[in-house]
Amino acid sequence: MKILRKIHRMFKLHRIFIKQDLKKLMEYKVDFLTGAIGMLLNQAVNLFFLSVIFSQIPSLNGWKFEEILFIYGFSLLPKAIDHLFFDNLWAIGYFIIRKGDFDRYLTRPVSSLFAVTVEKFQVDAFGELVVGIALLCVSIPKLTLSFSVINILLFIAAVFFATFIYTGVKLITSSIAFWTKRSGSITYMFYMVNDFAKYPTTIYNRFIRGIITYIIPFAFTAFYPASYFIRGGSALFCIGGTVLMATVLMAVGILVWNLGVRAYESAGS
Amino acid sequence: MIHVENLTKEFKKTIKEPGLKGSIKSFIKPKTEIIKAVDNISFDVPKGEILGFIGPNGAGKSTVIKMLTGILTPTSGTCEINGKIPYKNRKSYVREIGVVFGQRTQLWWDLALRETYAVIKEIYEVDDQSFKKRMDFLNEVLGLEDFITSPVRTLSLGQRMRADIAASLLHSPKVLFLDEPTIGLDVVVKDNIRQAIKSINETEQTTVILTTHDLQDVENLCDRIVMIDKGNKVFDGEIVELKRRYGQSRELKFVPRNIADVEKLNYEKEFGLKGGEIKVENDGHTVSVRFDSDKTAVEKVLGYTLSNLHVKDISVTDADIEEIIKGIYKSGVSPNA
Repeated sequence: MKILRKIHRMFKLHRIFIKQDLKKLMEYKVDFLTGAIGMLLNQAVNLFFLSVIFSQIPSLNGWKFEEILFIYGFSLLPKAIDHLFFDNLWAIGYFIIRKGDFDRYLTRPVSSLFAVTVEKFQVDAFGELVVGIALLCVSIPKLTLSFSVINILLFIAAVFFATFIYTGVKLITSSIAFWTKRSGSITYMFYMVNDFAKYPTTIYNRFIRGIITYIIPFAFTAFYPASYFIRGGSALFCIGGTVLMATVLMAVGILVWNLGVRAYESAGS
Repeated sequence: MIHVENLTKEFKKTIKEPGLKGSIKSFIKPKTEIIKAVDNISFDVPKGEILGFIGPNGAGKSTVIKMLTGILTPTSGTCEINGKIPYKNRKSYVREIGVVFGQRTQLWWDLALRETYAVIKEIYEVDDQSFKKRMDFLNEVLGLEDFITSPVRTLSLGQRMRADIAASLLHSPKVLFLDEPTIGLDVVVKDNIRQAIKSINETEQTTVILTTHDLQDVENLCDRIVMIDKGNKVFDGEIVELKRRYGQSRELKFVPRNIADVEKLNYEKEFGLKGGEIKVENDGHTVSVRFDSDKTAVEKVLGYTLSNLHVKDISVTDADIEEIIKGIYKSGVSPNA
């Protein structure tokens, strides 16, 4: 019961801030449109290059164009969801800690991590979400996928846990700022590795493949789970790996965060 | 209620040499030094008291407040409030306290004030009925009505401070921490805020810890003060006690008919005092004489003055607390407090 009340309270708080950010979206239409168009253009350019490559070659290392589109589209879903709910972690690494603004999250009777993330609902992420869903809609009819109940559940689980791979990487790298005051560039460096994950990992050499599988496991946010749905294979590795990596990253992230909070030094006022 | 014992906070500071070369050097082999921001401070605060926490800039006031509110973890020593240790039982502890930092808002920049209070209501799980009652009360003492629909970013400093104080009181905390709640405010708002603090303290027995540079705050509100300097406690006691200990000084002010007559006066010689024990200032119109009433009786100084020259106007005043504190800040005396 207590836990249900807690979840209910979390949703209520989320609702207030989401409403607020949507309201802001209406207020700053130009800002939102510019952001969204920029995002769309960015994805469009990427997709254009993919189509140019595929107009010259029938397949990339054995992967057809539709399959690549599916992987690409899949990769955008967890990225967008993380972006939507956990965007404020960037601010932790860039200025919240350095300026001492973290103080105010510590004087509230909720987890400081929740207090930080709840107050920002990043509407820009809708762009990624829309493109991702569109790519899946375009590619799915051309592929032979099985829509069994189990597969649909696995799909939802894969997207859910893949989201926390993104969040976990951001959480660990942002928490470094508790000691160094600023860690935004570190987060950026690690986060950008996700660019590799949109394509089949088999096209990379062993070194890069090793890194995006085991060290910064972005391959589990797209290629491995997506390839399971397209071609089958080991659900234990492809989906289970996503679950495991997300769990490990989040556990480490929360641990580092909590240690960081104890080391937090605030700023002079 | 509040028990602080040997509280110490050290910060590690990197020493950087100037210039790019210095930056590179400190990047490769950083030199650090330990700075004691708070050094072995102990004090107790009983329930319902308003404690003034004062000291010059950089004395460590905010660091103490941040340790008491669970923001910073002490290097050593303990603090216990309501039987709870702030940094250990943070979430359940902060439920019972209210915190206002005058220098920066705790509110959400883009939310309308009304929305802000809805968020705080959820966070602290205040039920609808008590929330409504509480809002009415806070409205009355802080006058929030005029700007409750405005986003926090559009509020003036005075409005924002009132909004912040209201936010800190919404959940009826047992202890209220106010870090410079009157900084930068005009006289009317200052007075309004003091009234509010007083009324909450009186009606709800809320314990208040207040840091300020405005000694009017201290004189109007505080039962007791703790003064710290360079991380050390230099005074702990009632204001009367502070005045008694440091403030036996009186100031005699007079306007002589003929300013040249002042030359005739020699207080030091008359009362057998050493230099510095009595201070005479003459601005060409008014003369002020500061002396210690313990060593020289007021009537004697008055009598001596009046018998030696004609005055147009004369008055004797208590040294105000501001003078006393200025004296202590400057000399940095460490009495056996």
